[in-house]
Amino acid sequence: MEAPPVTVMPVTGGTINMMEYLLQGSVLDQSLESLLHRLRGLCDNMEPESFADHELVYLLKGQQGNPFLLRARRSLLHPTAPWHLRYLGQPEVGDKSRHALVRNCVDVAASHSLPEFLNEMGFRMDHEFVAKGQVFRKGMMKVVVSKLSRVLVPGNTENTEPLSLSYLVELSVLAPAGQDTVSEDMRSFAEQLKPLVHLEKIDPKRLM
Amino acid sequence: MLHKKLEQLGAVKQGNFWVDCETYHATGNTTGQPSKLLYVMHNSETPLSCMALFEGGPGLSADANFDVLMVKLKSHFQNAKGHKVESRGARYRYCDFLVKIGTIAMSSSARGISVEVEYCACVIPGDCWNLMKEFMQSFLGSNTPELPTVFTNKPEGLCVPVDCMDTMSQYLELFSKVRKQQVMPGSGVR
Repeated sequence: MEAPPVTVMPVTGGTINMMEYLLQGSVLDQSLESLLHRLRGLCDNMEPESFADHELVYLLKGQQGNPFLLRARRSLLHPTAPWHLRYLGQPEVGDKSRHALVRNCVDVAASHSLPEFLNEMGFRMDHEFVAKGQVFRKGMMKVVVSKLSRVLVPGNTENTEPLSLSYLVELSVLAPAGQDTVSEDMRSFAEQLKPLVHLEKIDPKRLM
Repeated sequence: MLHKKLEQLGAVKQGNFWVDCETYHATGNTTGQPSKLLYVMHNSETPLSCMALFEGGPGLSADANFDVLMVKLKSHFQNAKGHKVESRGARYRYCDFLVKIGTIAMSSSARGISVEVEYCACVIPGDCWNLMKEFMQSFLGSNTPELPTVFTNKPEGLCVPVDCMDTMSQYLELFSKVRKQQVMPGSGVR
């Protein structure tokens, strides 16, 4: 049986408050192989999944406040698979000693009419990109190593150009709210990846 | 009376069904045009799904988390709670046909009856419409409908497989008619 594409999230019941815990880092292209080698050793014993996804970021400008952001992602390797729509909330303010970025997360699988439907709702596409790479898992943790590429002609995913000379490395866990041990586990896993890659908590506001 | 006719035909009751429809309207409308209405529907035949439609516009089928997303979007799309329409009733199986007879209710008052007939063995309307019409005539008599416009309006005609969105479009049409009707005196259900 084919491994499910990375964009499909597991179905969990009663998920009004799922949180995404995230640590991010990057490695230069030339260090990729050493990182992949270490990840193969540390992570669950299965073939790492390769993926190639096209992500479109949509904004809905309201009357006041920040625009509402939604991420729509589809697999380029599995064109008939459903689209994955993701909402990420504001980072949780609170415990500064918490090691990972924590945000409310809602994942919705949707049919192929998603872009047209979002436009009808009033959303407008802000930007799009292509992400290609591999996914590793260790228990509940997911490590995604990906190369992000800019789409040169809107809608044309054949014609892309890499955004940088690095690969983005993301360590994430999707868990119900209130599970405080998650970020501890993530931090100890991240320690094992040093010095190949330094995964840290990023502040999304600084990037806006 | 419909239940009796179906049972006489030999249909077997197989539990219950429900279909509901919630209305959301877009806030933050600056152009002065009437804001678009977004309908979010659920069907007990596909309990893990959520169907969202704009009347006469595109539709989306998504998983149950779409409802959670609508909660997050509440400052942009307000739920018109008084406009929720649902149809609940019995589900009958007769050979390859599935017949669902439900009472349509809006704000706890009964507004009508819905009858859904599905021919499970075929997904192309052009191939089985005549059979379905004949079957419906056996218990609906002169109330048998014509071919639904959701199929005749498709540019590709009647040869394209149907999907759950076609079913929900038909329910939406029915619910919209029911919403527009005046409430009949004495028809309140407590």
